[in-house]
Amino acid sequence: MPKRKLDPLPSTAFQILLALAGEDMHGYGIMRRVAEQTGGRMRLGPGTLYSSIQTLLEGKFIEEVDSREDAKLGQERRRYYRLSSAGHKLARSEAERLADLLRPARTKKILRGEYV
Amino acid sequence: MSEKVYAWLLRLYPSRFREAYGEEALQLLRDRLRDEKGFFPRLRLWLDLLGDLAISMPHQYLHLEPTLAGTSAQPHLNDTPSFFVLGDESPRPGALLLGGVLTLAALSTFSILLGRGGTQARMGVIVSGHLDGYAKPSHQPVPQAKPQETANAMNRPDAAFKLDAEERQRVVDASAAILKKNYIDRDKAQKMADALLAHEKNGDDDAATDGADFAALLTRQMRAVSPDRHLTLVFSQDPLPRNPMGQTAEELIRYREIMKQQNCTFEKVEVLSHNIGYLKLNSFPDVSVCQQTAETAMASLNDADGIIYDLRDNRGGEPAMVALMAAYLFDHPEYWYNPRENTTGRSWTHSPVPGNKLADKPVYLLTSGRTFSGAEQFCYDLKMLRRATLVGETTGGGAHSGVWHRIDDHFGMGVPETRAINPFAEADWAETGVEPDVMVKAADALAEAKKLAASKSQKK
Repeated sequence: MPKRKLDPLPSTAFQILLALAGEDMHGYGIMRRVAEQTGGRMRLGPGTLYSSIQTLLEGKFIEEVDSREDAKLGQERRRYYRLSSAGHKLARSEAERLADLLRPARTKKILRGEYV
Repeated sequence: MSEKVYAWLLRLYPSRFREAYGEEALQLLRDRLRDEKGFFPRLRLWLDLLGDLAISMPHQYLHLEPTLAGTSAQPHLNDTPSFFVLGDESPRPGALLLGGVLTLAALSTFSILLGRGGTQARMGVIVSGHLDGYAKPSHQPVPQAKPQETANAMNRPDAAFKLDAEERQRVVDASAAILKKNYIDRDKAQKMADALLAHEKNGDDDAATDGADFAALLTRQMRAVSPDRHLTLVFSQDPLPRNPMGQTAEELIRYREIMKQQNCTFEKVEVLSHNIGYLKLNSFPDVSVCQQTAETAMASLNDADGIIYDLRDNRGGEPAMVALMAAYLFDHPEYWYNPRENTTGRSWTHSPVPGNKLADKPVYLLTSGRTFSGAEQFCYDLKMLRRATLVGETTGGGAHSGVWHRIDDHFGMGVPETRAINPFAEADWAETGVEPDVMVKAADALAEAKKLAASKSQKK
C-alpha cells in the first residue's frame, strides 16, 4: 500500500524526508523545518503531516525512535522520527528526478543557474 | 477553547488514525497556539487547520483499508449490490443509534417523495430517452434510440398525449420554420415548408390522431418533395428533454456507472476454437469513458487468426468509438464514411494501431434487425471496403445523420445540415439497412460465421 501511495512521491512526503535528513525530529519540529525549507509555502497541518508520517512509517522509509521531552517546548513527551536508509534512497531518487526535470529548463535558459 | 474545537473536529477522522495520532495532532496544535499569538497568526492557523482537514480527511478514508477500497473498483457482476467493510472495530452503541435514526429519517423522506411523484416522470425520461440502448446523453437524441419504441415499451399511464388540431398546427408551423432555417438545400427547404403548410390547410392531416402516424405522415410529405432519408420527423410518447445539450452532470455520472457495471457493453471477449477471436459488443460507447476497455478487449484478441464481431444486439452509439474499433482492421488510414460529417478531414481511421496484428485477419460481422445506427455504420463501411463478411439479417436502417431540433414535448425532427460525402454509393443504409453477405437467421449467425472462419483457416 505505501508503495502505491508514494508513487509518485507526494511533495509533502518528500519534504518530510528532507526535513529528517539531518536529525531526528518530532512532528512539530518537522512541520517547522518543512515551512523553513520551503520558504513558508508549505505549512503542514496535523492531518496532512501525520497522514504522511503514517504512510512513510508503513513503507519503512522513516522509523519511530523513542519518546522524549523537547527541553525548548516543555515537559511533554514527544515521539521522534528518523530517516531510514530506504527513506534516504527514496529522497535521493526523487531529488535526482527533479534535477532531471530541471536540466532542459536550464539548457534552454528558462531557468538560470548551474547545471544540476 | 481552540483545542476543544479541534479535538471535536478530530473525531471526524477514522478511529484508527485518531488512536495513533490524535494526541500528537493536539500536541502540535498546542505548540502552534503557544507560538502563534495575535489575531492574524491565529486566523492563519485556523485557515491552515480547516484546509488541512478538507484535504487530509478524505485521504484518510480513501486509504483506510486499501485492499477493500481496491476491490470496489472492480466491475459489479449482475448488478448485485456489494458492500465493503472499511473498518474492523465494532461500532459504538451511540453510532448504531444515530445510524438507526438517520435510516428511519431517510426512509420516511423517500416515502414522502415517492408519494408526491412529481419528479418521477422526469427521471424516467432521462433513463429511457438517453440510456436505453446504452446511448450516451447527447445533443442529438434521435440518433441514439427510437423514442417511439421506448415509449411503447414503457407504456406509462402518466404520459397520456392527445393530438388535436392545435398541436398539429404547431408542429407543422415549427417544422416549416426549422426546415427553412436549417435544411441544406434552401430551395427544397422552401418547397417542403410550403408543402407541409398546404397539406395542413387542405385538411390532409386531420385524419391523423395518433402522434406516431402524424410524424410518419409529415415525414412522407417532406420526402415527397425531397427524397432525403436523413430527414425525419419523430414522435415520442415520453416528453423529450428540454436541455438542448441533453446531458446533465447526473446523466453523465449515471452513464459512467452503467458503463462500469456493464464493462462498456463489451459483453463477451473470448477466443473460440480455430483461434478465432469473438467479441460481443452491444453498443459503441463514449471513447472518453471506454477507450481503455476497448483497447484491452482488442489487445486480448490480438493473436487471433480471425475475428467475429457480434453486433446482433448493438444499437449504435458514438461515431468516435466506431472509428476506433475500425482502426484495428487496417494497416493504413482508410477513408471512413460517417453520414454525420461532410468533410474528409476527420473521416479516416487512425490506422495502423501500434502493436496490432489484426489488420490482415478475416473479419465477420454478425447482424440482426436490431443492429442499428452506429453499428450499421460499422457494418456498412466495412462491407463497402470489402473488409468484412456480414452474416445474419438486414440491419435496422437508422443512419441518424440529421441535427436534432426539438419542436415540443413530443415532436422533434432530424434535419441534415451538412452534405456527407459517401464515396461508395448514392444512398447509405438509412431506412434500408445494410444487407448481409450471408443471409441467415440472426440466431444462426454465430454458428454460420464460425463455420466460415474455420473453413477459411483450414484452407490456409
